Amino acid sequence: MMTIEILESDVKNNKLSFVLKGADSAFANSLRRSVLRDVPTMAIEDLEIRKNNSILYDEMIAHRIGLIPLTTDLKGYNISEDCKCKGEGCASCQVKLTLKVEGPATVYASDFKSKDPKIKPVFPGMQITKLLKGQKLEIEATAVLGTGKQHSKWAPGHIYYKNKPVLNAGNVKNPEKVAQACPPGVFEVKNGKLVANQALLMKYDLAGTIEEASNGEAKIEETDDFIFYLESFGQLSCRETLEKATETFESQLIEFQKLIK
Amino acid sequence: MIIPMRCWSCSKPISHLFESYKERMEKGEERKKVLDELGLERYCCRAIFLGHVDLLETASEFKKF
Repeated sequence: MMTIEILESDVKNNKLSFVLKGADSAFANSLRRSVLRDVPTMAIEDLEIRKNNSILYDEMIAHRIGLIPLTTDLKGYNISEDCKCKGEGCASCQVKLTLKVEGPATVYASDFKSKDPKIKPVFPGMQITKLLKGQKLEIEATAVLGTGKQHSKWAPGHIYYKNKPVLNAGNVKNPEKVAQACPPGVFEVKNGKLVANQALLMKYDLAGTIEEASNGEAKIEETDDFIFYLESFGQLSCRETLEKATETFESQLIEFQKLIK
Repeated sequence: MIIPMRCWSCSKPISHLFESYKERMEKGEERKKVLDELGLERYCCRAIFLGHVDLLETASEFKKF
Protein backbone atom coordinates (compact mmCIF):
# COMPACT_ATOMS: atom_id res chain seq x y z
CA MET A 1 0.00 0.00 0.00
CA MET A 2 1.28 3.36 -1.02
CA THR A 3 0.92 6.29 1.37
CA ILE A 4 1.83 9.93 1.12
CA GLU A 5 2.65 12.31 3.92
CA ILE A 6 2.94 16.01 3.02
CA LEU A 7 5.97 17.62 4.63
CA GLU A 8 5.74 21.13 3.30
CA SER A 9 3.17 22.73 1.04
CA ASP A 10 4.13 26.28 0.20
CA VAL A 11 1.54 27.54 -2.28
CA LYS A 12 2.98 31.07 -2.44
CA ASN A 13 6.45 29.91 -3.51
CA ASN A 14 5.09 26.94 -5.50
CA LYS A 15 6.88 24.30 -3.47
CA LEU A 16 5.78 20.91 -2.29
CA SER A 17 7.60 18.15 -0.49
CA PHE A 18 6.20 14.82 0.61
CA VAL A 19 7.25 11.40 1.87
CA LEU A 20 6.21 8.52 -0.36
CA LYS A 21 5.98 5.21 1.47
CA GLY A 22 5.47 1.73 0.08
CA ALA A 23 6.71 2.47 -3.45
CA ASP A 24 9.84 1.20 -5.13
CA SER A 25 12.52 3.21 -6.89
CA ALA A 26 11.19 2.28 -10.34
CA PHE A 27 7.87 3.94 -9.54
CA ALA A 28 9.51 6.96 -7.91
CA ASN A 29 11.71 7.51 -10.92
CA SER A 30 8.89 7.15 -13.44
CA LEU A 31 6.94 9.75 -11.49
CA ARG A 32 9.93 12.10 -11.58
CA ARG A 33 10.54 11.59 -15.28
CA SER A 34 6.87 11.91 -16.07
CA VAL A 35 6.83 15.35 -14.41
CA LEU A 36 9.95 16.49 -16.23
CA ARG A 37 9.10 15.10 -19.67
CA ASP A 38 5.38 14.77 -20.15
CA VAL A 39 3.54 17.63 -18.45
CA PRO A 40 2.43 20.17 -21.09
CA THR A 41 2.92 23.87 -20.36
CA MET A 42 2.79 27.08 -22.39
CA ALA A 43 5.88 28.76 -23.79
CA ILE A 44 6.62 31.04 -26.70
CA GLU A 45 7.77 28.99 -29.68
CA ASP A 46 7.66 31.25 -32.75
CA LEU A 47 8.64 34.89 -33.03
CA GLU A 48 8.31 37.45 -35.74
CA ILE A 49 10.76 40.23 -35.02
CA ARG A 50 9.49 43.32 -36.82
CA LYS A 51 12.05 45.72 -35.44
CA ASN A 52 15.06 45.23 -33.22
CA ASN A 53 17.92 47.69 -33.02
CA SER A 54 18.75 46.93 -29.42
CA ILE A 55 22.24 45.71 -28.53
CA LEU A 56 21.15 42.07 -28.26
CA TYR A 57 20.91 40.03 -31.45
CA ASP A 58 17.54 38.68 -32.65
CA GLU A 59 18.53 35.10 -31.75
CA MET A 60 19.55 36.11 -28.26
CA ILE A 61 16.26 37.92 -27.68
CA ALA A 62 14.31 34.99 -29.11
CA HIS A 63 16.09 32.64 -26.73
CA ARG A 64 15.39 34.86 -23.73
CA ILE A 65 11.73 35.23 -24.67
CA GLY A 66 11.34 31.48 -25.07
CA LEU A 67 12.44 30.97 -21.48
CA ILE A 68 9.65 33.13 -20.01
CA PRO A 69 7.25 30.85 -18.12
CA LEU A 70 3.62 31.51 -19.08
CA THR A 71 0.59 30.71 -16.94
CA THR A 72 -1.04 27.67 -18.49
CA ASP A 73 -4.69 26.83 -19.01
CA LEU A 74 -4.65 23.11 -19.73
CA LYS A 75 -8.41 22.80 -20.28
CA GLY A 76 -8.57 25.51 -22.93
CA TYR A 77 -5.70 24.36 -25.15
CA ASN A 78 -4.51 21.26 -26.97
CA ILE A 79 -1.03 20.22 -28.01
CA SER A 80 -0.91 21.34 -31.65
CA GLU A 81 -0.20 17.85 -33.06
CA ASP A 82 -3.34 16.46 -31.40
CA CYS A 83 -5.47 19.49 -32.29
CA LYS A 84 -8.38 19.51 -34.74
CA CYS A 85 -6.38 21.75 -37.08
CA LYS A 86 -3.68 19.04 -37.41
CA GLY A 87 -0.81 21.30 -36.39
CA GLU A 88 -1.68 24.21 -38.64
CA GLY A 89 -2.44 26.47 -35.70
CA CYS A 90 -5.85 27.64 -34.49
CA ALA A 91 -7.36 29.38 -31.49
CA SER A 92 -7.48 26.17 -29.46
CA CYS A 93 -3.77 25.36 -29.76
CA GLN A 94 -1.90 28.66 -29.89
CA VAL A 95 -1.93 32.20 -28.47
CA LYS A 96 -0.55 35.36 -30.01
CA LEU A 97 1.35 37.84 -27.87
CA THR A 98 2.63 41.21 -29.00
CA LEU A 99 5.30 43.51 -27.67
CA LYS A 100 6.13 47.05 -28.69
CA VAL A 101 8.60 49.10 -26.65
CA GLU A 102 10.48 52.24 -27.52
CA GLY A 103 13.65 53.30 -25.71
CA PRO A 104 14.93 54.52 -23.34
CA ALA A 105 13.38 51.69 -21.35
CA THR A 106 13.90 48.27 -19.87
CA VAL A 107 11.81 45.65 -21.66
CA TYR A 108 9.98 43.44 -19.19
CA ALA A 109 7.97 40.27 -19.71
CA SER A 110 4.92 42.29 -18.59
CA ASP A 111 5.20 44.39 -21.78
CA PHE A 112 3.78 41.41 -23.68
CA LYS A 113 0.12 41.90 -24.51
CA SER A 114 -1.64 38.58 -24.73
CA LYS A 115 -4.79 37.82 -26.72
CA ASP A 116 -5.92 35.48 -23.95
CA PRO A 117 -5.86 36.96 -20.42
CA LYS A 118 -5.34 33.45 -18.99
CA ILE A 119 -1.99 33.09 -20.77
CA LYS A 120 0.43 35.69 -19.47
CA PRO A 121 3.98 35.77 -18.07
CA VAL A 122 4.19 34.28 -14.57
CA PHE A 123 6.83 36.78 -13.45
CA PRO A 124 6.03 40.24 -14.89
CA GLY A 125 9.41 41.63 -13.87
CA MET A 126 11.59 39.36 -16.01
CA GLN A 127 14.03 41.51 -17.97
CA ILE A 128 14.24 40.80 -21.69
CA THR A 129 16.64 43.56 -22.70
CA LYS A 130 17.41 47.23 -22.17
CA LEU A 131 16.87 49.91 -24.80
CA LEU A 132 18.66 53.23 -25.19
CA LYS A 133 17.16 56.35 -26.72
CA GLY A 134 16.03 55.73 -30.30
CA GLN A 135 16.14 51.95 -30.00
CA LYS A 136 12.98 49.97 -30.65
CA LEU A 137 11.75 46.45 -30.14
CA GLU A 138 8.66 45.17 -31.90
CA ILE A 139 7.74 41.52 -31.74
CA GLU A 140 4.83 39.24 -32.49
CA ALA A 141 5.08 35.95 -30.67
CA THR A 142 3.18 32.67 -30.78
CA ALA A 143 2.91 30.56 -27.66
CA VAL A 144 2.06 26.88 -27.87
CA LEU A 145 1.74 23.93 -25.52
CA GLY A 146 4.78 21.70 -25.39
CA THR A 147 6.46 19.18 -23.15
CA GLY A 148 9.81 19.00 -21.41
CA LYS A 149 11.05 16.25 -23.74
CA GLN A 150 10.97 18.71 -26.67
CA HIS A 151 12.76 21.54 -24.87
CA SER A 152 13.39 22.27 -21.23
CA LYS A 153 11.60 25.62 -21.50
CA TRP A 154 8.37 23.59 -21.32
CA ALA A 155 9.40 21.73 -18.17
CA PRO A 156 6.88 22.58 -15.43
CA GLY A 157 9.36 22.58 -12.57
CA HIS A 158 12.22 21.08 -10.70
CA ILE A 159 11.67 17.68 -9.10
CA TYR A 160 14.03 15.37 -7.22
CA TYR A 161 13.83 12.68 -4.60
CA LYS A 162 16.04 10.80 -2.21
CA ASN A 163 15.75 7.93 0.21
CA LYS A 164 14.59 9.06 3.61
CA PRO A 165 17.51 8.98 6.06
CA VAL A 166 17.18 7.59 9.58
CA LEU A 167 19.67 8.19 12.35
CA ASN A 168 21.03 5.13 14.08
CA ALA A 169 22.89 6.42 17.13
CA GLY A 170 23.60 3.83 19.81
CA ASN A 171 26.33 4.83 22.25
CA VAL A 172 28.10 7.91 21.02
CA LYS A 173 31.07 8.80 23.24
CA ASN A 174 31.30 12.46 22.37
CA PRO A 175 27.94 13.68 21.06
CA GLU A 176 29.06 17.33 21.28
CA LYS A 177 31.60 16.70 18.55
CA VAL A 178 28.94 15.26 16.21
CA ALA A 179 26.55 18.13 16.96
CA GLN A 180 29.28 20.64 16.23
CA ALA A 181 30.29 19.03 12.93
CA CYS A 182 26.74 19.38 11.59
CA PRO A 183 24.91 22.57 10.59
CA PRO A 184 23.36 24.44 13.55
CA GLY A 185 20.03 23.07 14.79
CA VAL A 186 20.33 19.53 13.42
CA PHE A 187 21.35 17.99 16.74
CA GLU A 188 20.83 18.83 20.37
CA VAL A 189 22.72 17.11 23.15
CA LYS A 190 20.44 16.03 26.02
CA ASN A 191 21.83 14.00 28.95
CA GLY A 192 24.82 12.99 26.87
CA LYS A 193 22.65 11.72 23.99
CA LEU A 194 22.07 13.03 20.50
CA VAL A 195 18.56 14.30 19.78
CA ALA A 196 17.96 14.95 16.10
CA ASN A 197 15.69 17.52 14.50
CA GLN A 198 14.06 15.17 11.99
CA ALA A 199 13.05 17.86 9.48
CA LEU A 200 16.58 19.27 9.24
CA LEU A 201 18.15 15.82 9.21
CA MET A 202 16.07 15.01 6.10
CA LYS A 203 17.00 18.28 4.45
CA TYR A 204 20.77 17.87 4.58
CA ASP A 205 22.99 15.07 3.38
CA LEU A 206 25.03 14.36 6.49
CA ALA A 207 25.84 10.66 6.28
CA GLY A 208 29.59 11.14 5.85
CA THR A 209 29.92 13.96 8.38
CA ILE A 210 28.12 12.10 11.14
CA GLU A 211 29.97 8.85 10.61
CA GLU A 212 33.33 10.61 10.60
CA ALA A 213 32.67 12.83 13.63
CA SER A 214 31.50 9.88 15.74
CA ASN A 215 34.15 7.39 14.55
CA GLY A 216 31.43 5.19 13.12
CA GLU A 217 29.36 5.01 16.30
CA ALA A 218 26.45 6.94 14.78
CA LYS A 219 25.26 6.17 11.29
CA ILE A 220 22.72 7.48 8.84
CA GLU A 221 20.80 4.66 7.28
CA GLU A 222 18.63 4.87 4.21
CA THR A 223 15.08 3.57 4.39
CA ASP A 224 12.84 2.48 1.52
CA ASP A 225 10.72 5.63 1.82
CA PHE A 226 11.27 8.48 -0.62
CA ILE A 227 11.24 12.18 0.07
CA PHE A 228 10.09 14.11 -2.98
CA TYR A 229 10.81 17.78 -3.51
CA LEU A 230 8.84 19.56 -6.22
CA GLU A 231 9.35 23.17 -7.13
CA SER A 232 7.05 24.51 -9.83
CA PHE A 233 8.19 27.36 -12.08
CA GLY A 234 4.71 28.87 -11.90
CA GLN A 235 3.03 27.68 -15.11
CA LEU A 236 0.98 25.16 -13.13
CA SER A 237 0.62 24.64 -9.40
CA CYS A 238 2.49 21.71 -7.81
CA ARG A 239 -0.72 19.71 -7.44
CA GLU A 240 -1.79 20.29 -11.05
CA THR A 241 1.69 19.26 -12.19
CA LEU A 242 1.53 15.96 -10.30
CA GLU A 243 -2.04 15.27 -11.39
CA LYS A 244 -1.18 15.86 -15.03
CA ALA A 245 1.98 13.75 -14.74
CA THR A 246 0.09 10.75 -13.40
CA GLU A 247 -2.61 11.29 -16.02
CA THR A 248 -0.13 11.17 -18.91
CA PHE A 249 1.65 8.19 -17.36
CA GLU A 250 -1.66 6.39 -17.13
CA SER A 251 -2.58 7.16 -20.73
CA GLN A 252 0.77 5.77 -21.86
CA LEU A 253 0.06 2.56 -19.96
CA ILE A 254 -3.42 2.31 -21.50
CA GLU A 255 -1.93 2.81 -24.97
CA PHE A 256 0.55 0.02 -24.28
CA GLN A 257 -2.20 -2.26 -22.99
CA LYS A 258 -4.16 -1.79 -26.21
CA LEU A 259 -1.08 -2.68 -28.25
CA ILE A 260 -0.46 -6.03 -26.56
CA LYS A 261 -4.05 -7.24 -26.88
CA MET B 1 26.00 41.22 -20.16
CA ILE B 2 22.43 40.91 -18.86
CA ILE B 3 21.18 38.61 -16.13
CA PRO B 4 20.14 35.20 -17.57
CA MET B 5 16.38 34.52 -17.71
CA ARG B 6 16.79 31.24 -15.87
CA CYS B 7 19.45 29.56 -13.79
CA TRP B 8 21.91 27.77 -16.09
CA SER B 9 21.84 24.67 -14.02
CA CYS B 10 18.39 24.17 -12.47
CA SER B 11 16.37 26.43 -14.83
CA LYS B 12 14.64 28.33 -12.04
CA PRO B 13 13.44 31.73 -13.37
CA ILE B 14 15.70 34.39 -11.85
CA SER B 15 15.88 37.49 -14.04
CA HIS B 16 12.97 39.22 -12.27
CA LEU B 17 14.89 39.10 -8.99
CA PHE B 18 17.94 40.97 -10.20
CA GLU B 19 16.65 44.54 -9.92
CA SER B 20 15.71 44.22 -6.27
CA TYR B 21 19.00 42.39 -5.59
CA LYS B 22 20.97 45.26 -7.14
CA GLU B 23 18.97 47.89 -5.31
CA ARG B 24 19.42 46.19 -1.95
CA MET B 25 23.13 45.62 -2.54
CA GLU B 26 23.55 49.35 -3.16
CA LYS B 27 21.82 50.08 0.13
CA GLY B 28 24.55 48.03 1.79
CA GLU B 29 22.51 45.04 2.96
CA GLU B 30 24.19 41.77 3.73
CA ARG B 31 24.57 39.52 0.66
CA LYS B 32 23.56 36.28 2.34
CA LYS B 33 20.39 37.80 3.79
CA VAL B 34 19.33 39.27 0.44
CA LEU B 35 19.92 36.01 -1.47
CA ASP B 36 18.02 34.01 1.16
CA GLU B 37 15.06 36.38 1.11
CA LEU B 38 14.89 36.30 -2.69
CA GLY B 39 14.37 32.53 -2.40
CA LEU B 40 17.64 31.48 -4.00
CA GLU B 41 18.43 28.26 -2.14
CA ARG B 42 20.74 26.31 -4.41
CA TYR B 43 24.30 27.39 -5.03
CA CYS B 44 23.83 27.30 -8.81
CA CYS B 45 21.33 30.20 -8.71
CA ARG B 46 23.30 32.05 -6.03
CA ALA B 47 26.51 31.84 -8.05
CA ILE B 48 24.87 33.63 -10.98
CA PHE B 49 23.95 36.58 -8.78
CA LEU B 50 27.34 36.66 -7.07
CA GLY B 51 29.32 36.58 -10.29
CA HIS B 52 27.10 38.74 -12.50
CA VAL B 53 28.40 42.03 -13.92
CA ASP B 54 25.64 44.04 -15.58
CA LEU B 55 27.38 45.45 -18.66
CA LEU B 56 24.47 45.70 -21.08
CA GLU B 57 24.05 49.44 -20.79
CA THR B 58 27.75 50.04 -21.32
CA ALA B 59 27.85 47.66 -24.28
CA SER B 60 24.79 49.21 -25.91
CA GLU B 61 26.61 52.48 -26.44
CA PHE B 62 28.83 50.78 -28.99
CA LYS B 63 27.91 49.79 -32.52
CA LYS B 64 26.41 46.39 -33.13
CA PHE B 65 27.90 44.32 -35.96
